[in-house]
Order: sequence, then C-alpha cells, then structure tokens
Amino acid sequence: MVIQAVHVPESVDAVVTCSARGGLLMGGGTVVMPLVNSGSAAVTELVSLRRAGMDGIEVSDGVATIGAAATLAAVGEHPGLAFLRPALRTIASPTIRNQATVGGNLFVPQPYGDLAVCLLALEATCELAGPAGRREAPVADVLTTGIAPGEVVVAVRFALPEPGTWHYHKAMRRRLNSAAIVTVASVTSAGDYRIALGGLAPRPVRAVSAERLLRGRPLTPESLTEAGEAARADIDPFDDAYASAWYRARVLPVHLRRAFLPESP
Amino acid sequence: MPSQIVSLDVNGERREFIAAPGATLLACLRESLGLTAAKRGCAQGACGTCTVLVDGRPEAACLVAVETVAGSAIRTLEGVATGGDLDEVQSAFIDCFATQCGFCTPGMIMVAEALLDRDPDPSEADVIEAISGNVCRCTGYRPIVIAILEAARRRRERAVTR
Repeated sequence: MVIQAVHVPESVDAVVTCSARGGLLMGGGTVVMPLVNSGSAAVTELVSLRRAGMDGIEVSDGVATIGAAATLAAVGEHPGLAFLRPALRTIASPTIRNQATVGGNLFVPQPYGDLAVCLLALEATCELAGPAGRREAPVADVLTTGIAPGEVVVAVRFALPEPGTWHYHKAMRRRLNSAAIVTVASVTSAGDYRIALGGLAPRPVRAVSAERLLRGRPLTPESLTEAGEAARADIDPFDDAYASAWYRARVLPVHLRRAFLPESP
Repeated sequence: MPSQIVSLDVNGERREFIAAPGATLLACLRESLGLTAAKRGCAQGACGTCTVLVDGRPEAACLVAVETVAGSAIRTLEGVATGGDLDEVQSAFIDCFATQCGFCTPGMIMVAEALLDRDPDPSEADVIEAISGNVCRCTGYRPIVIAILEAARRRRERAVTR
C-alpha cells in the first residue's frame, strides 16, 4: 500500500491516539521502512516513536528502565548497562544500531531480535500504554501473545544481574552483522538458571527443559551438553538463508555449553 | 495527510522542500535537493551506500521517513570537502586505491567520518566494525580499511602541526 500519512507524535498519549486509529508503530524504521520501500506495507499510516519522548534510559538501585524508543546504540553506550554491550555488538551494524530501537526488537521475528532474547532471560517487565490506560506485562507474554490493538510498549524494566551471573553467546556466520543461528542468554543465581534462546523458534523461547535439568547441578561440559540436548524439546527451529532447522537443533548443545564455558571447545 | 514542507539543516545550510508522506530521507536528498552522493542500493538498510550522518550519527537514509527527522542536521558526502579541498578521508581513499566501482564509497566515507569524529585513533578492529554495515561488492575491503586508518593518521598529524 502507498503511505498516506506519517505521524510524529510528541507524547505517549499522542502515540496511543494515532495508534488506536490504525497507524503502524515504527521505532527506528529498520523493519517497517523496507516494507514501505517495496510497496508491501499492509497499512497506509505510520506512527513514528522518534519524537515521542520515549527514549530515556535510567539505571538506579539495581533496576534499569529503558524507553522503548531508545536506540540499541544508546543502550550500548550507557555506563550502567555495560553488561549488555557485548550482546548489542552482535546485533546488526553500528549504523543500524543508531536506528533500531529496544521496543522494535521485541516485535521482529527470529533470527533477529537478540536483545529480546536477553530481555527474556532477564525476566523484564514491559510498561504498556493503550486506549484503556497503562498496564504492565512480563516480556515473555509480550513476546508470545503480542500487545492489544492501539497499545504501545513504553518502556522495559529489569533488575540488573549480579556480577558474574550474566552469560551471552551468539553463533553466527560472520563475526559482525549477521543474524542468529543460535543465541543463548542466561542469568544464573545460586544454582538456578534462567536460559533464553534465539534463532531456534519464530520467537525467543525459554529453555525450560535445560533449566530444570541444570537446577542445583554444577556447570560442566557434560551437564551442559545434556541440558542442550534436553532443550531440543523447547524449540521449534526453522530453515532460512543462515542455517537449516536441522543444523540449528544439531548445534544447540554446543552453543549452550559455550555460553557458560567459553573456553571449552 | 497531504504532502508537507520539511526543513532540514543539510551540510550546514537550511533547506526546505515538499515531501510526500513516507518519502525517505534518501529520496528527498537525491530528488528534491539534488544531492546524489548517497545511493539507493538495497532500500532495506542492508548495503549501507545510502549512509548519511543524522545529528552526527550514521544512519541508513533509505530507512528514515523524512518527516521523522524534520529540523535535524544532515551531513552527506557533498558536505565533506571544504571548497575544492578534499578532506583526509577522501584523499586517503584516492591515495590508497580504496575505490573501485565507487558505488559503496559515499557510505564508506560517511561511516569513516563518524568514526574519526568519535575516535581519532581507531584500531583496525574498530574500523572493521564501523564499516560492517557497508557492503563493497568489488570486495575491496582491505584498501578501504587501510585508507580509513591512513586518514586517521593524517588527521592526527594535522591536529598536532596546526
């Protein structure tokens, strides 16, 4: 369809008003604009979040609150979010990270959306605004069931992981600017593991079978390989230009192991 | 919503033009302002040849709906030289044979400008990361990396002697 209007609202309320009228929300445009450029956008109106005042980042008392329109570059440059920097550097290129947003990352299909995988492992909470007012929802719910028509994710919030408890590993075809074959993000605390996977299903998934198997056990190459094999029950891999579904499932245990034991072969 | 008048600061000059809804920054630079250095390659943000600086940061101009950056400062390759004098990045690209067909060159130079503005002494790994969103299908990456490192060296030298 041909675009008839691009709204650039300057407040969250104005975003909700435009969105409720049927406009498609657009963060940095990295997903929406290719559709517009090829004439395949399914809408005639866009609602840009670029001027909506939703790009603030606040880190205090061990809690991070990140506006949905914050760019991936801004998150990576924030001194309070240094633990996420290596993960962000595996996403696209520095140029695209100047445009792509945290909120947009929640709505892209895998094998994109590595930050969404991180947010799932961090058990982040989404702050939503809509015609019916404000509400909160676990990021896991937003990833699986989406948001209501007219709603917008205003911010994501999570507790910073304790030092040494954050693990991230992404297998890709090149060292830079490539989508996920397998992405693993995890927070470990006292023998309890929260493990999220990317590249292995249409949306990021929790590796609940691996989490159950690892609970209370030490992390060894053997226990992690076993957990990686168990996690095949949690995934729904797909074929694309980067890898086959078969390959993704095949190498999952290897990359789960490397997420925790980077030195192991 | 009809077409609207959009105002941008382009290479230090205020420019106004009429933009249709959803027009990209790239289309406006090329078709409304006659600035054709930034190229339309993939039109999906994957090739990098449309890269310009928006408020100092490189962005793929093909992914920017122009209404969303109204009032911003845009820098394109046309704004890099001073009069007829090429800047360090441009002259290093020539001296290091870093252009082949030239299609990727405008984007490569703009990400290099942004990199050197932020970090006057980048490592080779920093340069490779900076250009990781820019595709050269002549695959002449090696001379491009060498040219950007050489440009950084020249710019540091000039800063010392100035």
